[in-house]
Amino acid sequence: MSVARPARCLLSKRFAAALKPATPTCSAAFHSSAHLEARKKQRFKSIRAEEMGLTSPEKVQKYTEENFQPYTPEEIEILKKHYSPDQMEALQAGEAAIDPTDLTIQGRLRKDPYKIPYLDDFSRLAPVVDKRPKKQHSPPDFNKLRWLSEEEFMNDIARFAKEADAPQAKAWLEGKLNDPKLSEEQREWVGAQLAKVSAQLERTKGLEGKDGDAEGLEFLLERSMLNDDNAPSDSSIAPSLGKDVPGIAGIYQNPIDPEDQGLDDEGIYQDLKRRTGLSVKEMTSLTVKVLVVRMVHNQTRLGKIRSIWVLAIAGNGNGRLGIGEAKSVEQGTATQKAKLLAIRNMKPIPRYEERTIHGSVTSKFGATIVKLDARPPGFGLRVSARFFEMFRACGIHDIAAKMPRSRRPMNSVKACFEALTNQKDPNEIAIGRGKKLVDVRKVYFGGNVL
Amino acid sequence: MGLPAIANLCSHLQNASKARLGLTSAPHTKYNLKVVLALQKAGFLSFVTRGGATPPNPETLSTYEPEPLTTANIARQRLWVGLKYSDNAPVLRKMQAISTPKRPITMKLPDLERVARGWDTNGRVNVRGLNMGECLFVSTSKGVLEVREAIERKMGGLVLCRAGP
Repeated sequence: MSVARPARCLLSKRFAAALKPATPTCSAAFHSSAHLEARKKQRFKSIRAEEMGLTSPEKVQKYTEENFQPYTPEEIEILKKHYSPDQMEALQAGEAAIDPTDLTIQGRLRKDPYKIPYLDDFSRLAPVVDKRPKKQHSPPDFNKLRWLSEEEFMNDIARFAKEADAPQAKAWLEGKLNDPKLSEEQREWVGAQLAKVSAQLERTKGLEGKDGDAEGLEFLLERSMLNDDNAPSDSSIAPSLGKDVPGIAGIYQNPIDPEDQGLDDEGIYQDLKRRTGLSVKEMTSLTVKVLVVRMVHNQTRLGKIRSIWVLAIAGNGNGRLGIGEAKSVEQGTATQKAKLLAIRNMKPIPRYEERTIHGSVTSKFGATIVKLDARPPGFGLRVSARFFEMFRACGIHDIAAKMPRSRRPMNSVKACFEALTNQKDPNEIAIGRGKKLVDVRKVYFGGNVL
Repeated sequence: MGLPAIANLCSHLQNASKARLGLTSAPHTKYNLKVVLALQKAGFLSFVTRGGATPPNPETLSTYEPEPLTTANIARQRLWVGLKYSDNAPVLRKMQAISTPKRPITMKLPDLERVARGWDTNGRVNVRGLNMGECLFVSTSKGVLEVREAIERKMGGLVLCRAGP
């Protein structure tokens, strides 16, 4: 390698380009595209914030005044209503301690579209993010703890039943309280009872709205059998969750949708319904077929892990076809996943006269080549079994297919799908060429074709 | 005959459209000129013009006048052609020479009729039928014609190349 070479490279690449702007030389400019180097060149110089004057003291001061204003006297009055004098003192000390200029320089106030919608809101618990507070309870006095006697147990049942009936009792008492016929003494008694029941309801808040069976079950499973007055236990068997768990109540809904007319009680199609916009009835009426099933193995140091790989197709019989492939240890799971994916992946297939394809299409997938040819009406599906299912599912009635090379099931199905979706669109050809393309068959039959 | 130049032109146009070039050039020969003019007539090319080593300015193309041909500059002349793209795909995607210098292929009218209908030829020559959107260019005594025009004029000739989307 000569010594002159690096210097020549330097001169020829960057410096030479900088000296004279790209004039196409005669040597190799037989097309108009820019050279690769010319394309790579940056269009704009990067400018620092300092050079733009964004970090000058005046700018910082202006930003600080705009964004971090101190509390006005009116705001302080409002705050005083919500906070105790001690808290107010702490607040004002905190305000005085932080210089707003520091906030401008060091603080990170986000303005991007992905910012978190709050600065800090500690008034409510966010599920997942926040830790749920533990209920504080003192450990039971083990010296006095013993099993309930028979009499105590009966009393406990009675008390439980009373608690369960409390909402009804409260409604009845409230009705009585407004009864004009009651004497003053009676009214007082009803008022006292009502207060008792309300207090009881307050204690058992969060347990309303249960039916009788669930209550009975709860009594059996969750009621303490010790004389600890049903205090929360430290047992390793956790109590079941109540219906209205704070932070979660109302978030999860029952998957059964009355729109589905009982077709999808297991909630299999719910995700698909949301993605595709098809109703469950439409999805169940699609042609869905499993075309390929394979045993596949993952060789690990512990041995082979066997799984089932399934390829399924789905079509509506009217120009839409999709393929889905899935793998699972269980064949049933893999089949279901593949079928749902096939429905999800359904694509429109261009069809000529809604019976065959446009011209001849060839597609290669792996070592498999699939050649599809359009055929006249009444020709039928003279194709292999898997292709037959595919064409029937997407509503093609006249076609011939050839696989001159490998005919592996998986690759042949994939290649066929690729061929069907990659057909040339005659309208697109006509637009591209600026020509009028005429369907001669249509002209010959005077438009009396499909 | 200029037949090798046709094969080169086919490959070059195919490569240029794969590279998504806006315009490209080919050697200025009589056969090349006839073929690119036929291609432009069939709608595969946006323009055809003669030019030097640098491309003509596309903005002033409508008023562009190529320099007059002289013995001094004829060797440096090239054919500049504009490639077309529609829906982010090249209009001219495949172009293949049929006649080669080693084996020129001539076809008479009945064979051309078969090929234009999409059927393969049977017998002496082996030319596949045309697919949807494909064109076949035939060199006849009336110049280079597209196969449908040649059939209209009831002429056969030397089959140069096929072009398609």
